[in-house]
Amino acid sequence: MNVQELLNRFREVAACPRAQMENYLKSGKKVVLTAPVYTPEEIIHSMGAVPFGAWGADIELNESKKYFPAFICSIMQSLLEIGIKGGYRGASAIVIPSLCDSLKVIGQNWKYAVPSIPFIPMTYPQNRKPDFGVAFTKAGYERVISDLGKATGLTFDDAALGSSIEVYNAHNAAMRELVGVLAAHPEVTNAQRSDIFKSAFFMLKEEHTELVRALIDALGAAEAGPAKTPIMTTGIIADAAGLTGILDDCGLQIVCDDVAAESRQYATDTPAEGETNLDRLALKFRNMDNCSVLYDQEKNRCKKIAADAKAAGAKGVLVILTKFCDPEEFDYPLIKKACDAEGIPVTVIEVDRQMVNYEQARTAIETFRDIL
Amino acid sequence: MAETTTKPRRQPPDPNSAKYKLGKIADDAYASAAAAKARGEMIGWCASNFPVEIPETLGLAVVYPENQAAGIAARGGGVTMCEEAESEGYSNDICAYARISLAYAKLKEAPVEPNVPMPDFVLCCNNICNCMIKWYENLSKELNIPMFIIDIPFNPDYEVSEAQIAYVRAQFWDVIHGLEKLTGKKWSDEKYKEVMEISGRTSRAWLAATACAKYTPSPFNGFDLLNHMAVMVTARGKKEAAEAMEILLKEYEQNHVEGKSTFRAEEKYRIMFEGIACWPWLRVTSTGLKGRGINMVTTIYADAFGFVYKDFDDMCRAYCNVPNAINLEHARDKRVKLCKDNSVEGLLVHTNRSCKLWSGFMPEMSRQIGEACDIPVVSFDGDQADARNFSEAQYDTRVQGLTEIMDTRKEAK
Repeated sequence: MNVQELLNRFREVAACPRAQMENYLKSGKKVVLTAPVYTPEEIIHSMGAVPFGAWGADIELNESKKYFPAFICSIMQSLLEIGIKGGYRGASAIVIPSLCDSLKVIGQNWKYAVPSIPFIPMTYPQNRKPDFGVAFTKAGYERVISDLGKATGLTFDDAALGSSIEVYNAHNAAMRELVGVLAAHPEVTNAQRSDIFKSAFFMLKEEHTELVRALIDALGAAEAGPAKTPIMTTGIIADAAGLTGILDDCGLQIVCDDVAAESRQYATDTPAEGETNLDRLALKFRNMDNCSVLYDQEKNRCKKIAADAKAAGAKGVLVILTKFCDPEEFDYPLIKKACDAEGIPVTVIEVDRQMVNYEQARTAIETFRDIL
Repeated sequence: MAETTTKPRRQPPDPNSAKYKLGKIADDAYASAAAAKARGEMIGWCASNFPVEIPETLGLAVVYPENQAAGIAARGGGVTMCEEAESEGYSNDICAYARISLAYAKLKEAPVEPNVPMPDFVLCCNNICNCMIKWYENLSKELNIPMFIIDIPFNPDYEVSEAQIAYVRAQFWDVIHGLEKLTGKKWSDEKYKEVMEISGRTSRAWLAATACAKYTPSPFNGFDLLNHMAVMVTARGKKEAAEAMEILLKEYEQNHVEGKSTFRAEEKYRIMFEGIACWPWLRVTSTGLKGRGINMVTTIYADAFGFVYKDFDDMCRAYCNVPNAINLEHARDKRVKLCKDNSVEGLLVHTNRSCKLWSGFMPEMSRQIGEACDIPVVSFDGDQADARNFSEAQYDTRVQGLTEIMDTRKEAK
């Protein structure tokens, strides 16, 4: 496939997750939903099921309002809405980690709102670095394995986990490499870039890696398009067509990101150390850093954003703040300080999954472009 | 000539009363922290559900930013402080206690009391919400002081697992050793045993006092609990607190015998109030009930701060079982018990914009409580400390609605 064909394929998958899910179900695979963030997909994959990203969608909310007050983030609200309306029918279970308050409450609501799809909690420690934190992570994984066994009838094998870890590490590496390759190809739009990341949620990682590797090769043989203004994005999600379209209209190019649904999840590989493969996976969580939902006394994430923007040649940082996302909202003032200290312009726009009118964001982004 | 009216002078509180003693304990906490700071000792800012046994045993003076924020909000300074934080880039969707506290960390003073000494360390515990972590991270970073955290994850199961106890226990010792190193204070098992015993004594008295709501009419106005719980949160390991709570229990029992109550109206209806108080609108929310003869006889606070445990592991378990750290079924059952034990006729739910965790599964849980207890449930929108997020008219309409349903049910009986 050439570059355009590959980009079309990513688009197809990103735009129609339900079709992807149906295909997997038809092929006899079990599908397990994975809510944000850092759900241990490797475990699900190793047991032979398809981990299927469940980050909500840009839809109107009706049914979820019976469960959530208005001030819970729209990722959770829309995730529940899809569940209630049957959009995930056929899924064997949903695994939800508990890394923020909205994630804690959706699990409780899910049990009553979507009783047909079992809720499997993944309780992570915030004190994840010391040995006692690693032990607690491992206990959480063991509970997930036990619940997955009940929900799917599939069994766990540590050697199989080792193979899945290799699949995931290879995917991480491909996604990290891709970011650099895309930065050198401004002709790939921000909307297309978003499709590549989003499609990863709805494909087996080995299949996605194959497509990404093909794209990297195809772009390597292609001539780079005319330069645009390079920027960095940060936030939880940045997949709204209304938003990426404005960035493209304004001649801005995302050259690196700290978006949870994009690069942030691919930053840490599972290490080689560890007695068993499950131990290795627990150590992966120990090694994770630079994320708004992971305890970070030094606020290193904020400094890292400024450093990454500088290293990638971004002329500014666009903070895409998901409305009602506490962890991100607390970090914003410190991100701004860190970027100010490095002389990097910062603009914040608020987004949620109910936005239909992006004109206010357009004005802010146009002003941002003019500053740059 | 206009008529002049003289406001009746309030009687000074009896220094032997529980109210006076409990108020003094709360005030003394600020004074003793200020005194410790003046002596050159290190003092801390401490999360409300951080295990008080740790600073108490180590002899460390701490103040509680949540209590401070509630106090500032109740005295009308909340919006000014929130706006100060917002000018720094903090979203107005963030918890108002956090905004007030972060503004205080910057300004080092508030337009109203209580002012508190600046900390040398912060003690964080997230068994009420993960927002605490973000708030304390920022305090630690902005003030350039160490942060100690005890992470108590939200428990999706009914019982606390051994894995969670082991994780929490290890963190207790990690924090204790860290504080010893930082402050030079030493942990003493003997002192801890004493604190544990006093804390148990205070808790038993508190639980017994709040259980006096079983009497009809209740010998107390439930809004008293909102004030007294500050002592339960911060000082239950102190002997004075145990003594004051025992006096409170005695007073409530005495009220019952004499047919008296601190609820100064005829008790026509008995409700449970769910959520943190709307501190900036305390008078409005209180009189809106009292004016209709509604006594808020119980809240989850009645149960939440009664920490009775037998040993160190049991203490860890108790901190894993605080209201916002437990699953819907466990949280529901605690409330159903309170409603049934205290003959509650209605549930009034504060949908608190500052508290995503508390409000996030409240609609489903309150539906289940209503069904289990066969009582009407009504909610209103508000905020614990940001006065802008409350509508007096909406509150009044909702409370009126609740009253009418309770009235109809009474007539039907």
